[in-house]
Amino acid sequence: MPAMIEVVRVWKVYSVGPVKVPALSDVCLRITKGEFVVLTGPSGAGKTTLLRLLYRDDLPTEGDIQVLGYDLGRLRQGEVAALRRSIGVVFQDAKLLPVRTVYENVAFVLRVLGTPRREITQRVFDALRVVGLSSRAQAYPAQLSQGEAQRASLARAIVRKPPLLLADEPTGNLDQAMEAEILDVLRDIWAGGTTVVLATHRADLARMLRRRTITLGSGRVVKDEG
Amino acid sequence: MLGFLIGEAVRDLRRAGRVAVSAVVLITLSLAALGGFWLLSLNLERAVARWRERVRVIVYLKREPAPSEAKALVERVREVPGVAGVLYISKTDALVSLKQLLGKDASVVAQLPANPLPASLEVTPAAAAATPEGARALLERLSALPEADEVTGSVDWVERLSQWQRLLTTIGLGIGVVLAVAALLTVTTATTLILHARRQETEIMRLVGASEMTIRLPLLLQGMLQGLTGAVIALAALVATHSVVAPRLEPLVNITLDLPQLAFLSPVNVLALVLAGALLGGLGGWLARAKA
Repeated sequence: MPAMIEVVRVWKVYSVGPVKVPALSDVCLRITKGEFVVLTGPSGAGKTTLLRLLYRDDLPTEGDIQVLGYDLGRLRQGEVAALRRSIGVVFQDAKLLPVRTVYENVAFVLRVLGTPRREITQRVFDALRVVGLSSRAQAYPAQLSQGEAQRASLARAIVRKPPLLLADEPTGNLDQAMEAEILDVLRDIWAGGTTVVLATHRADLARMLRRRTITLGSGRVVKDEG
Repeated sequence: MLGFLIGEAVRDLRRAGRVAVSAVVLITLSLAALGGFWLLSLNLERAVARWRERVRVIVYLKREPAPSEAKALVERVREVPGVAGVLYISKTDALVSLKQLLGKDASVVAQLPANPLPASLEVTPAAAAATPEGARALLERLSALPEADEVTGSVDWVERLSQWQRLLTTIGLGIGVVLAVAALLTVTTATTLILHARRQETEIMRLVGASEMTIRLPLLLQGMLQGLTGAVIALAALVATHSVVAPRLEPLVNITLDLPQLAFLSPVNVLALVLAGALLGGLGGWLARAKA
């Protein structure tokens, strides 16, 4: 299978005054198209740092990263935008725009990217259907439960039908029932053909999902199984 | 896409609230001041141009030349640098003019034992000689004519009027520039507030791969919208003021400046003011957008 993500000997070192703090140390991994990968490890293991490098929010101190055929170390500004148009990202905090309805939050992404108006309604409702939120389209974020807000965030991430979805602790703020809902949605998205990388500090969640699990510890890959 | 960008710009303006209103007010004031002084200057310039056309230098002759000599003299004077036109006025012509000037009192002229008026040349200076220096040089050249007894005429007062007009333009520009700088700073502040308010949108736009143009254009557009709104209000105020004030002032300026009408700004001037407003607002937005 072709590699969707290829990380080769990547280091990310932050400078705190004169002190150098490695967040990632010599990380190598390969994720192929159509995989569902759980990235796990305790807080501070480097999960979020690795995801940020994958959507080119930051650059590695050393090493090479290829995502969807883009060599991230050599991207120009316009190419960074092109890369991000192919990646959906969700965070622990849903990051919804408070003054816009669920529909407007999801549609915002399409409008920003210049999608023809006639296509927007159809695609937004398709995405809301996938996350089970069609009936809440006109609700504002303040009117949503945390689980609903996270589902709206997922709808926003997949509305462009990206081949890759990066989810950084999407269930971190949720209770067990809501967590199960989100995991179901993620499984549905993956079943639709999207490659999913889910970062979580919960080892039990990784076991429950029974998917390939990459464990990070102190910035290093300590286990890659499944 | 353009509809979306304009929609975002309008939404941003609503967010900026009072600061955006202050920016529009300042743009209105600066453009109204600029336009008002421009209007005054324009009309004064028209008056100066009319008076410049009427400036004449009179060369009084020592004796009245014979008709053939007069013709040769006119030709000779026409060749003098700084002369645009020459008209010979004989003693008889001068007396006729005097009678016309006296009107019903013209009978006093009949009691004169002889025509006391000298023959003269009425010289129209060329445009180059319509400055104080040019006029002085022309007067010197005409005084040097052997036939000349006395030379009178000056453009000094026209020049003084012209200087007033230039001073008015400078004051207007000065006030306009000071207010424009204040407006620019206010638009920049409004845009900075907007930037702060829309940081979530900006973050999401970047995350989903929006182009930099899409991210920054609404900021530029909202600045231009503030500028255009200010310019339109300023123009409306100028039109209203002109339509109320001009009819009341026209009789006075007709007598003092010989201007039958107080003109309004030309369409090109109006367009320039509107563009200045858009540019001012756009520049304010652009200055702040670097932080986006």
